[in-house]
Amino acid sequence: MNINIDVNHNENITEVTVGGEIDVYTAPELKKELIPLSEKDNVEMIVDLSGVSYMDSTGLGVFVGLFKNVRAHDGQFKIIGLSSRLKRLFEITGLADIIDISTKMEGEKK
Amino acid sequence: MDFRQKLESKYREILTNYLADRSEQALYQGQKLSRNAIERNIPPEEIVSIHRNIMAEMFPEKFNDKMQESFDILLEVMVAYGFAYREHQNLKHIQQELRTEMEIAANVQKTLLGTEVPCKKGMDIGAISVPAKHMNGDYFNFVEDENNSVSIAIADVIGKGLPAALCMSMIKYAMDSLPENRKTPTLVLENLNRVVEQNVDLTMFITMFYGTYHIDDHIFSYASAGHEPGLFYHAETQTFSELPAKGLLLGIEKNTKYRKYEKEVMPGDMIILMSDGVTESRTKEGFIEREELLALIEKNIHLKAQNIVQNVYKELEKLQDFQLRDDFTLIILRRNVLS
Amino acid sequence: MDNQSCVKIINEWDIVSARQLGRNVAKELGFGTVDQARITTAISELARNIFLYAGQGQICIEKLYENGKTGLRLLSIDSGPGIKDLRQVMEDGYSTSGGLGAGLPGVKRLMDDFQIDSSPGEGTDIRAIKWLR
Repeated sequence: MNINIDVNHNENITEVTVGGEIDVYTAPELKKELIPLSEKDNVEMIVDLSGVSYMDSTGLGVFVGLFKNVRAHDGQFKIIGLSSRLKRLFEITGLADIIDISTKMEGEKK
Repeated sequence: MDFRQKLESKYREILTNYLADRSEQALYQGQKLSRNAIERNIPPEEIVSIHRNIMAEMFPEKFNDKMQESFDILLEVMVAYGFAYREHQNLKHIQQELRTEMEIAANVQKTLLGTEVPCKKGMDIGAISVPAKHMNGDYFNFVEDENNSVSIAIADVIGKGLPAALCMSMIKYAMDSLPENRKTPTLVLENLNRVVEQNVDLTMFITMFYGTYHIDDHIFSYASAGHEPGLFYHAETQTFSELPAKGLLLGIEKNTKYRKYEKEVMPGDMIILMSDGVTESRTKEGFIEREELLALIEKNIHLKAQNIVQNVYKELEKLQDFQLRDDFTLIILRRNVLS
Repeated sequence: MDNQSCVKIINEWDIVSARQLGRNVAKELGFGTVDQARITTAISELARNIFLYAGQGQICIEKLYENGKTGLRLLSIDSGPGIKDLRQVMEDGYSTSGGLGAGLPGVKRLMDDFQIDSSPGEGTDIRAIKWLR
């Protein structure tokens, strides 16, 4: 039951790095931290989930909420660093078609 | 008042005995007395006070002022313990009340969402749905139509417990209110999508699979709103394949369109539907692999559909040390070999 | 009033003064040591509430003589932020969350009679009585 949330504001881009497990116990914390960030106009948000070992549907719900909020504020939303298991979750749910989920970071760092 | 007097004389007796012979027997009596006092809600400071009074009476010389005064501190400390203890007792009581309330709510939900597995000639259907907690966020429903078909809805609300269950009741109501001619898989999903989109919280969504089995021509037509993919068992080749289905979750976009899929079902073939509680089963070694699930089904394949789903559930429950992390629903529809 | 005395609660030391005042009056009225400890614990809780959350206020102790009964009335009056949901504050388990009104159900149990009035923005007024048995 641990989660790490790291937020970086880089010019106009909000970079969020999440690590650990996102489940029914940790999702509320994630929601509390991130939802306010998504409520700004033209916000550009990139979420890196490469450190996430487990995510259930409650976690997915947080990202659905973030996506809806960002879209309502004419912003951009992107998720990177999805493991194959998480990628499958986004594909099954049809979210992969409406949320930008690159599998690699831009300018790939090693 | 008279219990307190009894308590005091009992305490005096025990104390006198102990001071006379320092026996284990007296100490044991003391322990019994404390259990009795707790049952009667006697706060700890009361016992301390009894002790001090008796001591002062029995040993007026030795139990001097300093000794007496030292008890002021002990009393003060014990008042705070009693304070906390009584709050704890009340919380336990409140918890009991909540538990009872939840049990009643779970029963209401069972009645509200109850569905009967239909008995259709030529078909063998089995279904199991087990909540991780009191309330079930999974949902399935069978409808027998006039034109010799069976429809099945299986849905999973994000999250568990009470909020999920409330949401499910809304879905059930919306589905029941749809007119008969709008109950094709794609129309059902499109209608429910609008209901959910308008009514739920930002981070809430629902996955749903809706299919109709036409018994006359053995065509299974279905559509999926982001639901865990179903499986298909081909009796002829004895192989499994995924039931292809793409579609967005309910409640994300207002005007989502859903695609209709069709599958011809041959004698002995099976349609296997589930919630993500099945694929997300976690053991100490990690998630259960799809192959393990298929192997479990295969092992039981000679049984009736209802026995297959029950046996698969039992095995997965055991693999997870009887700790369900998510609501679990598994449904199997099989076309009988002889019909 | 002649039989009422008050202590202003501004810092933590005032909690001790309030307790001292309560203890003196309780002794004078003839309360036993157990009840004395209960009364002072109740005073501590109320004074601590004022000190931590209300900013300032006062604790008053009053001697009561009614229908041949003797009692001690404890008043806690502050002009702090007030309590929005009294029912919630009086529920057990709220105290663990901290905040204004923490521990009030406990105070109620320590005393024989308990009344509370509060409006947001205006402050809180608590009256509790312990009767001499």
